[in-house]
Amino acid sequence: MIAKPNNTPAIIEMNNVGIRYGQGPEILSDIKLSLSKGSFHFLTGKSGAGKTSLLSMMYLAQKPSRGTMSVFGSNINFTNRDNLAMLRRKIGVVFQDFRLLEHLSAFDNVALPLRVCGMDEREVRQRVTELLSWVELDQHMMDMTSTLSGGEKQRIAIARAVINRPELLLADEPTGNVDNDIAPKLMKLFVELNKLGTTVVIATHSEKLITDFKYPILHLQNRALHIRYPSDISSLSRTGGKYA
Amino acid sequence: MPNRKAKYVYTPRKQEIPLQSNNTSLFTQVIIAIAVFIFAVTLSGVLSINSMIQTWNQSILGSLTVQIMPVNDADREKAQAETLAYQERAIDYLKNVKGIAKISVLPDSQLQKLIEPWLGDGVDISSLPIPRIIDIKLEPGAKINFVQLAQDLAKASPQASVDNHKLWLNKLIDFADGLKALAMTILFLVITITSGAIFYTTQTSMGMYKDIIEILHTMGAKDAYVAQQYAKRMAFFGLIGGLIGLFLAIPTIFFIASLAQQIKGGIISEAHLSFGDWLLITSLPFEACIISGITAYYTVKKTLQKML
Repeated sequence: MIAKPNNTPAIIEMNNVGIRYGQGPEILSDIKLSLSKGSFHFLTGKSGAGKTSLLSMMYLAQKPSRGTMSVFGSNINFTNRDNLAMLRRKIGVVFQDFRLLEHLSAFDNVALPLRVCGMDEREVRQRVTELLSWVELDQHMMDMTSTLSGGEKQRIAIARAVINRPELLLADEPTGNVDNDIAPKLMKLFVELNKLGTTVVIATHSEKLITDFKYPILHLQNRALHIRYPSDISSLSRTGGKYA
Repeated sequence: MPNRKAKYVYTPRKQEIPLQSNNTSLFTQVIIAIAVFIFAVTLSGVLSINSMIQTWNQSILGSLTVQIMPVNDADREKAQAETLAYQERAIDYLKNVKGIAKISVLPDSQLQKLIEPWLGDGVDISSLPIPRIIDIKLEPGAKINFVQLAQDLAKASPQASVDNHKLWLNKLIDFADGLKALAMTILFLVITITSGAIFYTTQTSMGMYKDIIEILHTMGAKDAYVAQQYAKRMAFFGLIGGLIGLFLAIPTIFFIASLAQQIKGGIISEAHLSFGDWLLITSLPFEACIISGITAYYTVKKTLQKML
């Protein structure tokens, strides 16, 4: 269980949450989590530990099979569909497999969250152009995403996730496919967003990322969620311990 | 190195689901074209029947016909003279009946026209034992006891008989109503089948683009945002399909009308379409557009309810 520091309001609260698919066994059991506003966490765990399931609950793609869950103070079991959509607008998501709309241009993909909100097209153009320039993709703005490389797609996916200045940013292996020189820049972007008040959760297998950026870790093991702090990480690193 | 910019096409706002580029779009347009074609032809039939009934009503309501049966006699001239005498006696009687506005004897030329479809052109009707016809127009709101009138007329002129048209008109109207009910059933079936086709096409398409819809939802799109994309696209398909159907239906209606006109002296030739009827028929593509859009919109909304 993660304690809320400084009495800041919780962005996500989970109480005894469990999730299962169909009639199968629970993937995650008795998850208790309180993610405070402005926090930064890594999410780790072996493949199949339930990282993607936990993230999908956080970005409201799935409801828990049991337990209660609140996002931005709204109990999702009692939130209607339109309000769920409004909550999702406050969340930016970077998927491991990017999930870009391949038939659209880089520009249109990044513009998607803004257009969904009904933003004026002039402002959409300005904000998307700025951000694509920042992630060094301004030369490929009008290219179809299907023609871009893996690293370029990942930067598009990240740009799409942050364009709306989300209150909560969830990223699944966001630096997995980018070059070594781009990865620190993207992490710097996440850190900057976090400093501006965005709550960040990054699922990763990268030991380097965890040791370089000393943030608390949400670790999934045996269907349960554990918290580990940077001091533990140092000792684990020294003993050759691994999180993923 | 592929030319990356060659394929780029500006995506219209709020049309992230590529509905224009799948096979279901062609299927939808074909279904709607067929539906509008059947609808237009059937509707023209219904409207024609309506106009036909209206014409009959207008021409027959407030009128009655008196027939003077020809006198049978070997001496043709004597028979004709006696028939005319019965006709005059009937007219004399009718002139004194309250509520009759106009009495007119059908001239030989008109009688000739009436029997022309059966006996052909150039028949000398004076040589035939055909009844004389007296057309009577009643005053508006005239209250006449037709049974009493028929009895009194028979006394005044034994060869005369009254036909107040109601019997055969009612039979014709019953027949026309039957046709109309059949046509309305066809129209109802066409609407149901078309709506069903749009429902299933939309659901199939939603299955195809499930991933895109999920991404839109993740970005915060409301159900209405997704539903509007489907509604707009299906409405467009409805309009295009409708215009194609109408384009094919208009010559068909004219062809059927020309066939009906060829039945000279028949009741069908009285059927015609007014300006308002044509307006209704030519508005069908727009109605197809609206129905398609609304059906798609609510199909998407209903289907999305099953998702988180």
